[in-house]
Amino acid sequence: MLANQPIKLRNLLHSRSKAWLLALLLGFITLLSAVTLLALSGWFISAAALAGMASIGAISFDYFRPAAIIRLCAIGRTAGRYAERLTSHYAALGLLKDLRVQSFATLARSKQHNRHSADTLQRLVTDIDLLDQLPLKVVTPWFWACSLSALVLLFWYLLAPALFYSAGLPLVLALIIPLLTLRPGIALAKQDTQAAATRRTVLLEQLAMLTSLLLWQRWQDKTRYFSQHDHAYMSLQLRQQQLASRVSLIQQSLLALSLLALLWQGSVLVNHAALSVPLLLSALLALWALNEALLPLCQSFMALGLSMSARDRLNQLADGYAVVADVKQAIPNAPFSLNVSKLSARQGQALHGPDNVSFSLRSGDVLLISGASGSGKTTLLMTLANQLSCTGALELNNHAYAHWQLDETLGYLTQQPDIFDLTLAQNLRLAAPDASDDKLWQVLVDVALADWAKQQPAGLDTVMGEYGAAVSGGQARRIALARLLLAERPILLLDEPFAGLDPASTEQVLAALLKRQRDGLLIIVSHQRVSIAHAKHLQLEPC
Amino acid sequence: MAQLKQLLRPQRKPLHLALLLAVASSLLFILQSYLLAMLFADWLITSQQQQPLTNTLLISVLPWLVLCLLGRPLLQYGREQLSLNASLIVRKNLRSSLLDKLAAAGPGKSQYGSDGSLSSKLLDQVDALDGFISRYYVQRYLVLITPILLVIAILSYSTLAGIILLVTAPLVPIFMVLLGNAAAAASQRQMQLLSRMSGRFLDLVRGMNTLQQLQATERAEQSVANAAERYRDSTMAVLKLAFLSSAVLEFFSALAIALLAVYLGLGLLGILPWAKGEIPVPYQGALFILLLAPEFYAPLRQLGSDYHAKAQAEAAIAELTPILQSHAWQHPGTQQLKLTQAPSIEFQQLHILASDGRQRLAPVNLSIQAGERIALQGPSGCGKSSLLHALLGFLPYQGAIAVNQLPLLQLERLHWQQQLGYMAQHSSIAAASIADNLRLAAPQASEQQLIQSLQQVELWPLVQQLPLQLNTLLGERGLGLSGGQLQRLALAQLLLRDSQLWLLDEPTAHLDPDTAYRLHQLIAELSVGKTVIIVSHQLDGLAWLDKVINLADSTKPTTGATFNHVS
Repeated sequence: MLANQPIKLRNLLHSRSKAWLLALLLGFITLLSAVTLLALSGWFISAAALAGMASIGAISFDYFRPAAIIRLCAIGRTAGRYAERLTSHYAALGLLKDLRVQSFATLARSKQHNRHSADTLQRLVTDIDLLDQLPLKVVTPWFWACSLSALVLLFWYLLAPALFYSAGLPLVLALIIPLLTLRPGIALAKQDTQAAATRRTVLLEQLAMLTSLLLWQRWQDKTRYFSQHDHAYMSLQLRQQQLASRVSLIQQSLLALSLLALLWQGSVLVNHAALSVPLLLSALLALWALNEALLPLCQSFMALGLSMSARDRLNQLADGYAVVADVKQAIPNAPFSLNVSKLSARQGQALHGPDNVSFSLRSGDVLLISGASGSGKTTLLMTLANQLSCTGALELNNHAYAHWQLDETLGYLTQQPDIFDLTLAQNLRLAAPDASDDKLWQVLVDVALADWAKQQPAGLDTVMGEYGAAVSGGQARRIALARLLLAERPILLLDEPFAGLDPASTEQVLAALLKRQRDGLLIIVSHQRVSIAHAKHLQLEPC
Repeated sequence: MAQLKQLLRPQRKPLHLALLLAVASSLLFILQSYLLAMLFADWLITSQQQQPLTNTLLISVLPWLVLCLLGRPLLQYGREQLSLNASLIVRKNLRSSLLDKLAAAGPGKSQYGSDGSLSSKLLDQVDALDGFISRYYVQRYLVLITPILLVIAILSYSTLAGIILLVTAPLVPIFMVLLGNAAAAASQRQMQLLSRMSGRFLDLVRGMNTLQQLQATERAEQSVANAAERYRDSTMAVLKLAFLSSAVLEFFSALAIALLAVYLGLGLLGILPWAKGEIPVPYQGALFILLLAPEFYAPLRQLGSDYHAKAQAEAAIAELTPILQSHAWQHPGTQQLKLTQAPSIEFQQLHILASDGRQRLAPVNLSIQAGERIALQGPSGCGKSSLLHALLGFLPYQGAIAVNQLPLLQLERLHWQQQLGYMAQHSSIAAASIADNLRLAAPQASEQQLIQSLQQVELWPLVQQLPLQLNTLLGERGLGLSGGQLQRLALAQLLLRDSQLWLLDEPTAHLDPDTAYRLHQLIAELSVGKTVIIVSHQLDGLAWLDKVINLADSTKPTTGATFNHVS
């Protein structure tokens, strides 16, 4: 499956069609065996009773063949069920894996991640899981129920058309009555997915803010707020289950009606010698056994609704992101020259940002950007990092940014860098998968973290925890800086790299940066006064 | 399992009523089978004797038959409603007690897992109990009662048929226990994988921008694929066992029907080897037994397919137990200390260890007078934040902390925390409007007060110009505001709370010197007469502090033993 293609429900069965066909066949054999087992057993003992009463005895009554078929059905039912379940679930889980990777790839190939990531998580994990409901709870049960009902109806017709006419209608109604749940079922299921997403988002936010909420004594309020969403979600689920219960109540009543009609019509037919009692009994027991195939239908449309809304949300996720065009562009080479003239940029709806900024840099230059909070230092850096569009000119090596493929040229350190819940080494190796331990230690020395890392019992294998919880904010930023240095980007854009560092360490990190960027460009936003002999300065005016 | 039983105790009544309805339904089934067997026996004999059928019998049994046929679905409906409601209430209560436990753990909640995996525990795994409560609970009683009722009915017709059923029945639970135990263990592993997988997803998706910049998306994708693959393998392992246990039941059920049919049929023909020429069970009884036989195994089969619900519930409970049974360090105090004035604080040999034994704070001695305002300094990771967490009442510690000469451990935590002003490194900004965020800290604040606090942190000029002003929404991590603006908004939250003790954890780490200076001045103005502990690297604008403590110094062995260390 290709990334970025909208997910269509009807395509879900295509990727593993052979497995699904096998599952359909196995399930059919299973249910057919179950129906046959009961119907044939009923006929067998009735016919045997008749033969016994007529004293024809064992001689003329062929009891071997029915007995053998009965045993065969018993085995077919057991083995068929086991094989069908394994086949269909294996196919379903394979489908889920494909979808999971596909969705992640869609995200990875697109820009702009300003959506709620709690929401994204919900979509990826839960919604994808819901898509297996379609084959497991909609397609296969309906196929089996329809085909077996058709066989039972045919059986009745062959026994006596009158049976088919009188008892057939309630049976067909019992088969199609679950269609009543189509609309409300889908509607409820759609609300269900939405409510589940909201509930998870509310909980995640509450957990993330736990400490502050506790201190402010607002934890109970938030808990109550969560409970409301929790209750809303569970009531929705209850309503779905009630809908299914009610429909199955109607279905059972219709089946009861069909059974009564069968008895009534059967007695008439037996009276006219148009039907033998053993065959009437097997007709009745076939209906009795069919129950097993019809019952799952009552749940099926809720499952369909869940799959549909999961599909919609997954597709929205793909739509929401502009896909990065995979056009081959040139990669800029050293020596570099960066020309900025009359550049203005804004973040989102912000009113302020850098205005009419101009400067030019050549390989080996260092630019220090300073300015009051809100003067747009971060916005300027984001623009230079190619993360934000701007007005004015922004040229690298005499070509506009758009001309270049800049992914391997620019290295941008944000104020809130992402440290992953992996080990220190794994975090660093995201930038350079093949880096040796020595290289990692060297870069840790450069960012003044080597001493700290040596103190950790696990050293390079220290786990960073969620949000990099195991490290302080300053450490997290320097781990991210180390990662950038490993990526060896010729142009580095660093937002407050020295925050939280003592002067001695600042000197150490700065020296390493200058050494590494001798032939590249180094642009630093910092409110600390760092002294670099040949650095250029840019002071942004406060708003 | 004991844990689960305890959770279900308050809902025992509705669940037992549901069981009663299910038993009634089984009795109706016996009646229904009896009526049908009687009817068919009558018809068979009549037709065998070439006599015309009369409808009298059919008409006389019809009302009873209708009662059975319609009564059973109704009873089933009632049973479902009762069980579903019970399940809903149990899960709701469980969730709120889990949240209470997490609240008790405070910042230590991270020991139970990341936020992503905690949310999966509270939502998915609590919901995983549903099947156990709403189906399995009643079913496991029914699995004994229904077969006993049926066997009694069958024994009245044929001892041998009853024996066939009785012999096969005990084999079923044996297999189920064997397979079920294996399934439960596998199911627990699967739960852990699911939780780890969603944690990995959240982590990677959150940092997608960084991954893209590092061109590491393919490696991340691989990691996602691996997690999904492991999940699939573990799920299949669980399903194989779950399906195998139901296949065993299926097999016994099918086998018993087949055996009975052959036995009864040959018996009716009078050709059983041990009873030639005899009819051990007459037709009516034979048919009655044949109709009852599938139902004899039906509760077992249902239990088998619900068995994974039990395994799931056990796995979920096992995952939840660490939280439920956590004796998250309980702050023992009961005394209420009302701070009407700035308190004095003393640390004596304060020493903090992480749960894994790593040292978070080396022993510290420190004394802070009432109304004294101090800064804590020291290299990153030396335990400055841990010291604040201990003072907040969230962390166990060795040594002593005294507030106004009273040991902190004697104070009631809630009451104590209410009186603290705290601001963390990472601002606590929710995805809500600016006003809602401020009112989180101070629910009663008027709009004027909110505006005033924003003015104090110099955000008001910006907010004033936004189209929605105070009602402007902020993103998940407060995106839309710069790092400095976020910190100032968090400081505004602090300003709205009127406390005598302020604990500030690097509040100005990301701010430029001017604003940091201005904020430090504001803190100076507003904190006159309060006790203030500020962890900060930047001392610009902090000239008003009474002293600056370097934790690296105070942890040296020589000074560690001294009391009242003053820098």
